[in-house]
Amino acid sequence: MSPGRRHALIAAWWLVLFVLAAVVQRGLVVSGDLRSFMPPARNADQKLLLDEIGEGPASRLLLLAIDGAPSEQLAVLSNGLAQALRADGQFERVLNGGDDLATLDRALLPYRYLLSPTPDEHPFDATYLHEELQQRAEDLGSPAGEMLKDLLPRDPTLEVLKLAQRWMPKRAPALRDGVWFSPQGEALLLAQTRAGGFDPQAQGAAIASLQAAFLTLRDIGAARLSISGPGYIGVQVGAATRAEAEGLSALGTAGFIVLLLLAYRSFGVLALVALPLLSGALAGIAGIALTFGSVHGITLAFGVTLLGVAQEYPLRVFSHRRADADIQTSVRGVWPLLRLAIVSACIAYLAFLASGVPGLQQLAVFTITGLLVAGAATRWLLPALLPLRFRDMAQSRLIEKFHGWIAAVPRPRWLPWLLLAAALAALWLAPTPLWQNDLAALTPAPPALLQREGELRTALGAPDVRYLLVLEAPTADGVLALSEQISPQVEKWIDAHAVDDVELPSRYLPSLATQRTRQAKLPPRAQLSAALDEALADADFQPGLFAPFLDDVEAARSLPLLTPEEFERSPFGARLQAMLVRRDGHWLALATLSGVRDPAALAGIADTSAGAARLLDLKAASENLVARYRSRILFALGIALLLLAASVAIAFGDLRRAWHVIAPMSLATLLALAVLRVGGVSLSLFHLVALTLAAGLGLHYALFFERKTNDVAETRRTLHATLACVASAILVFGLLATSTLPVLRAIGLTVALGVAFHFCLSIQMARPRDDAR
Amino acid sequence: MPSEAAAALIAKLARPVPASTTFTEVRFVHMLRKPVVLRGQLSYGGPGKLGKRVEQPYRETTTIADGRVEVTREGRAPKQFDLQRAPELAALLTGFSALLGGDSTTLQRLYTIILVENTANWMLTLTPRSPSKHLRALVVQGSADAPRCFTLQQADGDSSTMLLGTLAAAALPEAPTPVAIAAVCAKP
Repeated sequence: MSPGRRHALIAAWWLVLFVLAAVVQRGLVVSGDLRSFMPPARNADQKLLLDEIGEGPASRLLLLAIDGAPSEQLAVLSNGLAQALRADGQFERVLNGGDDLATLDRALLPYRYLLSPTPDEHPFDATYLHEELQQRAEDLGSPAGEMLKDLLPRDPTLEVLKLAQRWMPKRAPALRDGVWFSPQGEALLLAQTRAGGFDPQAQGAAIASLQAAFLTLRDIGAARLSISGPGYIGVQVGAATRAEAEGLSALGTAGFIVLLLLAYRSFGVLALVALPLLSGALAGIAGIALTFGSVHGITLAFGVTLLGVAQEYPLRVFSHRRADADIQTSVRGVWPLLRLAIVSACIAYLAFLASGVPGLQQLAVFTITGLLVAGAATRWLLPALLPLRFRDMAQSRLIEKFHGWIAAVPRPRWLPWLLLAAALAALWLAPTPLWQNDLAALTPAPPALLQREGELRTALGAPDVRYLLVLEAPTADGVLALSEQISPQVEKWIDAHAVDDVELPSRYLPSLATQRTRQAKLPPRAQLSAALDEALADADFQPGLFAPFLDDVEAARSLPLLTPEEFERSPFGARLQAMLVRRDGHWLALATLSGVRDPAALAGIADTSAGAARLLDLKAASENLVARYRSRILFALGIALLLLAASVAIAFGDLRRAWHVIAPMSLATLLALAVLRVGGVSLSLFHLVALTLAAGLGLHYALFFERKTNDVAETRRTLHATLACVASAILVFGLLATSTLPVLRAIGLTVALGVAFHFCLSIQMARPRDDAR
Repeated sequence: MPSEAAAALIAKLARPVPASTTFTEVRFVHMLRKPVVLRGQLSYGGPGKLGKRVEQPYRETTTIADGRVEVTREGRAPKQFDLQRAPELAALLTGFSALLGGDSTTLQRLYTIILVENTANWMLTLTPRSPSKHLRALVVQGSADAPRCFTLQQADGDSSTMLLGTLAAAALPEAPTPVAIAAVCAKP
């Protein structure tokens, strides 16, 4: 093939990949929905978690603070921002203290006698009214009484105020110039997004429009907006992770290029080396798109990591070119082993396909498709495009020396057993917990962000992100009744400082039974009127002043009871609506808690309510889910290893030879694990994926070292290829291991360690014993 | 600008903190058939801090600090609310703080000030510059460098007058009216 034609073909291949990538990027739905990546829920809490994950009411709160200006100006900005965000569909609820949300709808005003607990505590008789009216007279004598004047004739017992107090968050921030302020003098706002807190894309968009809305306000001056909350922290951490990963990858790529140039002394290979892997990755994505429709972000990240094995294929072809034969003959020499590696890896990943977890199935489809396509591209497309000028690596003096050195390495038969014993002992003695189930711990938020979040959360009295109180009953009214039933217990918790506040649904709407009881206690008009006259005998109120009160009580006596559906239609009912959820013919209330200090005490509610009310620890439930997920992955990996061993054994038709390949691979994985554990590392999903990648690479080393050949030149080429692969893997992943971010360090360190062990043990264990040249 | 005379008068009214005085308050509320008369002690602890202790006819303590108001009545749990929710109280506090601090600039920023004086008495009328739903005017009457009465006129026609210092012990008419009380305040 002429050089011109060759270059044109290479360019064409790249072009095809670019076009495909563009098409895929446009059509691909990358879902951030963790649900599709998790195993199906087994218990009620997990189910609730999967439905609530990212939808949990507290996780959708963005906490905002404006400072840097006089308080009057901050108040104007706070109101302006709240107004702008309320008009933005991305936000469900915006609070800044400015709006008197805790007021009863005018149409529902007579219902105050059914909603307020007063009738439970006092009959509306002359004694009670007398006491109340005396206080009202005193109220009018105090300057604070002025705010009661409008209310007084209609509501002498101040039920509206009692309700407002009941409905106000117990720890609302102080009001200044009509809006919330922190003790440090910042105007405070709460914005609840529609999107889930763990949907970084949607959170990012909401935060961007929030910032834009602030910047377009008039007269900002020196005022600054600061944002916090789970969604914001997620976005920040995601961006930092991405930036660091990209930086290290760029460095790794540069190092890889230098390494290739050193290894092959050819610029031509640079244009080719990435083609099989990229082709494989694009094919993998296409495979998922065809079978699943959308791909999960985590699948993509894990899949591309696992597909890293395919980066070795072109290197093997480059290193194995022979001076004494044409390229096709050279490739045919290594292809059987490469094919065995590819096919056995694909067979192993079939275990993931059978796992029943969509995320893992996607991973299997991606990896299998990717490996097959990358392999095929290496075998049938790449050879034709190789540069014409090349060096037979068998002639390298350096490799010759190294080969001699390796041949001289002593290979005591007891060494692997000693290493095995040491690894098992290390695993047994490791100081830290084996598993890290808290995925968030792998991408930790900077302490400053967390501290700021804590400050604002406390200042705003915003609900806890971790805990929810779940109430369950066959009907919505049943949930309200349950809520009333546990309400005294909740008061005890608050008194004992186990929790600051619990937002129970019955705080907003009493059950129908309670309303009915209260209704029955309201006196008929004539009786109330007589009691009022008696109460007013020694008071100085104008005669007839309280006629509206008599009217409202009379109306309340015959009102149809207020159902949740009816109440939810009122402006304030939205709170209740957000709390009540219908699920599988059952009704649930999700009550938020703030300032949880003694979760153990709160969890006891499950026993006293026979399970109808329970404390949901979202963190524990999600860790539980991760643990279950991990056990599925471990199981799948176990099956994968068996499948791999079986396919290698069948291909070889020789158990001893298969053992020489599988044994070093397994021992090296165990050693890498042991070193991590001794270093105090607790294992996560990321470590498992990284170990799997390292094992895939180790399979290659073992297979190629195990190859029996009497051709010294071919042995040296094998050594060259393996050295190039090992060096590049250690370089790229070693760089990741230097990351400050635990998730990148987990992957980098594990793969680099694994590769080193696989290489050393393959030398020790895989090479044929009689290969003593 | 308030007249030079008004500014000079306000400067003279400055008192070292803490300052306290006895008071008698007469409140005219349209919902009540006769005015409420309260007696007690008023104490000013510096800008933003005011205490009002009612001793007669019942006991009640109101303290304002850091924008929060706490009202305590005998035998009842204290009630707390934001000063923002009681505009009358807020106006009283601002007026008091500025007067006792001799701060005519702040008063000038918040109110238009009219001074009327004769040989024995003076009267400062402070009208809010931003229209208020609640407060129509704040009237301070006094003689020489001592305020004698502090009157809040509300937008709904109700009003209250605080007679301060020695005047707190003055005899009140049998059935007090706003005019009669103003006359008590103006007596030499």
